[in-house]
Amino acid sequence: MALTKEELSVIEPDHLVDGIGEVCPHTLNIALKALKKAKPGEVVVEVTDHSIATKTIPAAVKMNKIAEVLGIVSENGEYKIYLKKL
Amino acid sequence: MFFIIDMFILASIFGFLYGFLLQKADFCFTASIRDWISVRDSRIGKGVLVLIATALVGWGLVLTLGLATVEKLWTVPVGFSNLIGGVLFGIGMTIAGSCASGALYRAGMGYIQFWIVIACMMIGNILFAFIYNPWAQSAIEPLLVTDQGYSLYQLNLPFLLLPLLIVGIMLLLAVRQFGWKGIASGIKDSIQDVKGNPFTKSHWDIRFVAVLIGIIATVQFVVMSSLSITGPETRIASVLLSFVFGEDFILQNTYLNGMFADFPVIGIGPEETLIIFMIFGAFVSALLSKSFKIRKPKASRLPYAIGGGLLMGVASRIAPGCNIANIIPGVGGMSLSSIIVIFGMVIGVFIATAYIFKMPLLLFQKMDFDFDENM
Repeated sequence: MALTKEELSVIEPDHLVDGIGEVCPHTLNIALKALKKAKPGEVVVEVTDHSIATKTIPAAVKMNKIAEVLGIVSENGEYKIYLKKL
Repeated sequence: MFFIIDMFILASIFGFLYGFLLQKADFCFTASIRDWISVRDSRIGKGVLVLIATALVGWGLVLTLGLATVEKLWTVPVGFSNLIGGVLFGIGMTIAGSCASGALYRAGMGYIQFWIVIACMMIGNILFAFIYNPWAQSAIEPLLVTDQGYSLYQLNLPFLLLPLLIVGIMLLLAVRQFGWKGIASGIKDSIQDVKGNPFTKSHWDIRFVAVLIGIIATVQFVVMSSLSITGPETRIASVLLSFVFGEDFILQNTYLNGMFADFPVIGIGPEETLIIFMIFGAFVSALLSKSFKIRKPKASRLPYAIGGGLLMGVASRIAPGCNIANIIPGVGGMSLSSIIVIFGMVIGVFIATAYIFKMPLLLFQKMDFDFDENM
């Protein structure tokens, strides 16, 4: 289930993906690429300034049962999307 | 024909509303097809279907009430050029990362990438005009089956019959898939987002926004003209070009000359004002929800913006029309050419998604999301 901002902030990501300046579909592609490299249970965090990615990435990983969405942190126009590989 | 100031005021209001709403819902036509074929995400696709349903009922109603006539419908010649233009536009918008309307509202949100896309679309428009005259005209005309547009409204049927039939079938399919309860909760969810102070919220439900855009576009059809983007962009590009090479340079080109047929001079008309105000509407919407930010693209993405923009610019003249023109006044007006263009766009998006981005096509095959490492 979605974690709170405080709970998310203590999570140390296993894979950090830089999506700043990227737009769809690249934002989704780089998240999927990192998830492919990750081992089950590992956390992938994508940093993005593309608000649409906060909708498309969770939808894509949920629908295809690739990862669990731990939550999204929004700060100063940037978003961190926390994903835990299934 | 001389434009009166009222038309410019009306156009700026319509443009502002479209830009504001598109930004509020992140209405991306490219993603509506791409995300459905690649990751089975139908969220935006449902928004587009709601928009189509609203436009169909809107146009049918307006014609029935006699607020507009069949002659006012937006129709263009029907033929293979619709399909070719549609496919190329679909590839272009997928590469660029947004369609014609998406580029405008994202430009207003501060994405430099989409300013480049818009500039390249305009260069593509002009490129087409100078290929058309002298060469392409003789290549495009044989592709046409009819030299005039055709709308199903020209059949001698009651105007509302076909729209209600199509929307009825859409509703039936939705009921079969989600049940009445599902639809009721969908309607409830879609209004949920505008509670409180909706203007400062960063996101409104796309289906709710689709209904609003459909209604506004219907009103615009009655009081002004049909909504289009790439035609006005071609004229803006021509105006800019005329500053450098003079008005005669534009008027000597058959294609561009035709585009200014209704204009007293080479200049900005109401439709051009409308699309400029779309950018402004999106800017205000983004400012209110604090989502405005100057976003610089990575250098590695510039070829996508340039290539995609140029392709969209050329393709929108071949089709003719962009996603917006063909989906709202095109489908709403039941224009045969628009149905072919949209079919072409879907093929184009599929080609670009599968072969250029090599995205996992999970809809078609259960792959172990195996795709190109280099993307």
